[in-house]
Amino acid sequence: MEGSSRNGEISPKLLHLIPQGRRNWFHHEKASVYNTEEKNLELKLGPPGEDEDEDGSSMIRRIKKEPKDKSILSLAGNHHFSPSITTNKPTSQKRNAPGPVVGWPPVRSFRKNLANGSSSKLGNESTSNGVVIKNQKCDDDNGREKPVEPKRQGGLFVKINMYGVPIGRKVDLSAHDSYEQLSLTVDKLFRGLLAAQRESLSFGEEVKPITGLLSGNGEYTLTYEDNEGDKMLVGDVPWHMFVSSVKRLRVIKTSEIFSALTYANGKQENMGS
Amino acid sequence: MDLRLPSKVLEHIFSFVDSNEDRNSVSLVCKSWFETERLTRKRVFVRNCYAVTPAAVARRFPEMRSLTLKGKPHFADYNLVPDGWGGYAWPWIEAMAEKSPALEELRLKRMVVTDECLEKIAASFKEFKALVLTSCEGFSTDGLAAIAVACRNLRELELRECIVEDLGGDWLSYFPETLTSLVSLDFSCLDSEVKLSDLELLVSRSPNLKSLKLNRDVSLDALGSLLRLAPQLVELGTGSFSDKLDQEAVSKLSQAFTELKELKSLSGLWDVLPEYIPLLYSVCPGLTSLNLSYATVQMPDLVELLSRCSNLQKLWVMDLIEDKGLEAVASSCKELRELRVFPSGADVDETNVALTEQGLVSVSEACPNLESVLYFCAQFTNEALVTIARNRPNLKCVRLCVMEPFAPDHKTQQPLDEGFKAIVEGCKGLQRLSVSGLLTDKAFEYIGTHGKKLRMLSIAFAGDSDLMLHHLLSGCESLNKLEIRDCPFGDTALLENAAKLETMRSLWMSSCGVSFGACKLLSQKMPKLNVEVIDEHPLKTRPDSSPVEKIYIYRTLAGPRLDMPEFVWTIHKNPEIGVSNLAIE
Repeated sequence: MEGSSRNGEISPKLLHLIPQGRRNWFHHEKASVYNTEEKNLELKLGPPGEDEDEDGSSMIRRIKKEPKDKSILSLAGNHHFSPSITTNKPTSQKRNAPGPVVGWPPVRSFRKNLANGSSSKLGNESTSNGVVIKNQKCDDDNGREKPVEPKRQGGLFVKINMYGVPIGRKVDLSAHDSYEQLSLTVDKLFRGLLAAQRESLSFGEEVKPITGLLSGNGEYTLTYEDNEGDKMLVGDVPWHMFVSSVKRLRVIKTSEIFSALTYANGKQENMGS
Repeated sequence: MDLRLPSKVLEHIFSFVDSNEDRNSVSLVCKSWFETERLTRKRVFVRNCYAVTPAAVARRFPEMRSLTLKGKPHFADYNLVPDGWGGYAWPWIEAMAEKSPALEELRLKRMVVTDECLEKIAASFKEFKALVLTSCEGFSTDGLAAIAVACRNLRELELRECIVEDLGGDWLSYFPETLTSLVSLDFSCLDSEVKLSDLELLVSRSPNLKSLKLNRDVSLDALGSLLRLAPQLVELGTGSFSDKLDQEAVSKLSQAFTELKELKSLSGLWDVLPEYIPLLYSVCPGLTSLNLSYATVQMPDLVELLSRCSNLQKLWVMDLIEDKGLEAVASSCKELRELRVFPSGADVDETNVALTEQGLVSVSEACPNLESVLYFCAQFTNEALVTIARNRPNLKCVRLCVMEPFAPDHKTQQPLDEGFKAIVEGCKGLQRLSVSGLLTDKAFEYIGTHGKKLRMLSIAFAGDSDLMLHHLLSGCESLNKLEIRDCPFGDTALLENAAKLETMRSLWMSSCGVSFGACKLLSQKMPKLNVEVIDEHPLKTRPDSSPVEKIYIYRTLAGPRLDMPEFVWTIHKNPEIGVSNLAIE
């Protein structure tokens, strides 16, 4: 068997086997092999929200761009990575479909969804969300009653995302008993985050509260997705019915109500898609 | 005059040489040392089960008593390796049953283990003592029953994060009454309920039991009675920590915990209710290892607990700990060596924003022995990385996962190149590194220049071009394992540095731009490498320029393997034959 020597004396330089035209990268510091005419291998790795560019330099452009005018944080919105792979093979599963990237974040599957508080092991059947809502008093050792508050275990946490804010939060619906209360919580959760995204806010300027979520009068409106996948406005059904069917919440721009609720896929606010 | 030491003397000297690396070095000195060493090696580590054949291992080490094997590539943990790829334990067990029947210990990681394997072990190795399966799959609780019933001297049975077909909890009842040798039992990954009475009987007749890790199904009540039967435990993995107990039960449980005078390691704690945390206070001062990564406990309760753990060396926790909690860790846990912070949310958009780079900075400042870090975080800054490197030049393992791909320094919007430069430059003993966030080729130039002790490197969504890979392969002298996904490079660097690949254990690349032609070239020119192309969507014709989905390249003495599924292709060494799915046609 031919062997390649360990000390590299006959280490094969396979470079010479590559056609001349594709060897140029080595001599140009900044050139990316990416920028060759080999369209077949061209990969697009633009972040969400990038316009399609036809050369491969979207990656480099992205670095040089000062995103003050277009904060990466404002890239939350509709976008998913879109590959411009011209061969018939997708090289990355995430690029072709909205939704989570395979194997990202690099966490073993059994670690996911631990914080949701929902588990078949707990024998939850009381709501269609599969999560028990517990609200109990608990006597401590001395017989004094502890203050009544919903226990965390079995709390009804649902994800909530807001247009313009890249990081979602969680809301414990079992800690609320009315739409008004929920609306206040949403304001509390996102007011600061939203203000941080807005470049127009100068230091010291007062942060605007988020209002009108339920009335349709505000800049934003609260919507939800139920256990059948339908998207609806929050506030139409009795509170308890809402709690038992809600799967996740979304705060959208009031101007986008029609498109958000009509199109089956809705907006992709997932930064990770 | 014969200056060679008699082999008996050599044997005696070698009996003090424990570590595998040292033994490997010893065996390279000369023929007689090689011979003596191989005849005395008891513990054999094969870190890639396809690097060598079972027969060769059995032949070389006739006195082998303990075998450790690893199968699938690391990225299999994140579902990047399709099912059926390989990593079968059977050929090894079959070979050892025939050639090394005195085998006592088998430790397998990321391998496919079937019930037949377990039955074979039970039937073939009379002195079998220890079975430790980590991230394995393919077997059911029936196989466990076979082990339980037949291995009369069993000391260790540990199932760490395995995927087991759970047919019920009966398997535990198969341990015979005569079995009293158990030292370690870990069935934390199993789903179904085991009978408490079986477990109690087993524990009560195992005076040497030091490590017990229960599954989620074991109730708090049951835990209490088990602890009373085994106060000598050094490692405890609880079951679910959430049942409602009455006063009396709580105080009995509390008492049971205070009796655990030897306890050093605590894990499990699924669903732990905040009001039960005080039950753990009595064991906190003695703990050196605490795994809270399944405990959905909020920061204030975590702080209460951790502030009592002054001897803690290893902490695994979720990002629910937040920066504030890590500050508390920094001030209380001065002995900390290893910190892992896992994300509590399932998706990128659920990341807990109250955990930032500051948390890690605090710990790096205050914990002088901190060596190993795994940190999932929404975003990071170069400044933080520079500070961490300055604080902790003794770091050996840095795995930073910025949750959002391509995220830049969130203060300056710059790539994280300078931050990672500080890490590799400052932490001269760094052996393992995972990078994330926005990174250009510069970052990899730094890593290639400074990461001289780096053995394992993981990269995702990074770099600009082939230069990135070239820097790494030509610069990192100690590089042993490299795994890359979704990076924009192609063939050139790979082919230019082909010789390097034979000095490494393995290279994984997925969703990059490597062409089929390059794979063919590499395989044909490098006989000691297996170049495997994993392709679940193959084209009818495969032009040389077509990019491949995933490649896994590893050095081997065994040649191409024969157990590949239809979606794994190897390039035949003989260019006449070309691509084959079977190694030999």
